Amino acid sequence: MFSQWVLAAALLLVGLYLLKAKRSANQQAIRRLFIVVGLIAGFIAVLFPEYLNAVAGFLGIGRGADLLLYGFVVFALFYAVYQYRRQLWQEKVTTDLARALTLTRAQLDELRRSQKD
Amino acid sequence: MSRPLCQNKEVMSHAKKSSASSPKNPSVWVVVPLFNEAEVISSVVKQLKSEFSHVVCVDDGSSDNSAALAEKAGARVLSHPLNLGQGAALQTGFDFVSSQHGASHVVTFDADGQHRVKDAVEMVELAQRKRISVIYGSRFLDKRTQPGIKKRVVLKVAALMTRAITGLRLTDAHNGLRVLSMEAIGKVQLEQNGMSHASEIVHQLAKSKLSWKEYPVEVLYTDYSKQKGQSLLNSINILIDLLVR
Repeated sequence: MFSQWVLAAALLLVGLYLLKAKRSANQQAIRRLFIVVGLIAGFIAVLFPEYLNAVAGFLGIGRGADLLLYGFVVFALFYAVYQYRRQLWQEKVTTDLARALTLTRAQLDELRRSQKD
Repeated sequence: MSRPLCQNKEVMSHAKKSSASSPKNPSVWVVVPLFNEAEVISSVVKQLKSEFSHVVCVDDGSSDNSAALAEKAGARVLSHPLNLGQGAALQTGFDFVSSQHGASHVVTFDADGQHRVKDAVEMVELAQRKRISVIYGSRFLDKRTQPGIKKRVVLKVAALMTRAITGLRLTDAHNGLRVLSMEAIGKVQLEQNGMSHASEIVHQLAKSKLSWKEYPVEVLYTDYSKQKGQSLLNSINILIDLLVR
């Protein structure tokens, strides 16, 4: 079924993002684009539920509510992965900062010692 | 340590005297990642100081007085302002040694007293004599070390996984005792703050194509060090850590 291929591809993309994402302006732009498109699609789906049903029917999913659920699952997974990557990046920043502080203190120590001698 | 007070002074003055007359292994820096090891760190540092004049403990935000004890025993102590993990502590030590004049080799040595200083001395000697860039300590090259069956399985799985990822045929991937030349140190940039650094360091060194060798060492399983071990499930963490970054 066509919809199964679409969903499998979406999940694969999430997995790929987990492994390969880099912090770049392009990726940020794509994320923002997704949010805007998602907002507009949600708006339309609320105002004209029959469109949602029509799209679901076209994809072979049956009900609009099911399409919404699938979309939500993919989005939730993507969001979890994105946050995980963000956390990794934050940890790296914290580490770099702490290391710089540690090494600066060591240099200060050395200066103090050489002044004593 | 039956006479801790007077013995401290004796050892300290002895270390000072010997380093003043003929510093031992003056181009070698021992890096000891340190986190809450107050029970054993004094004796570990003192033993190291009897063979190496440069011992650097990287205190990774210990909540006990490990750092003060290490300093008192004669180590140079660098302190992380917060707990980051053993990998992060090692990298901080590497960065520090890189800025020191006259450094030729780095020894990594665990703070919990499971390694023997004698093994470290022999490994340094081998690295210098044969000009080998990296020497990994392995507890599985001879029969001296007797880990329990559970520990043996955990370590073998870790070694197999490291082999699968890095292509290096190591027998013991998670041994904290290593000797690295400064050239090798330049190739290492640990980003895994936690325990996955052991595989990461092998990975980065394998990519560098520098010469390497395994050396048989004995790991002393004291009751103290037995409390701290890795579980089999943790190897899954290591795998994910190395794949996702």
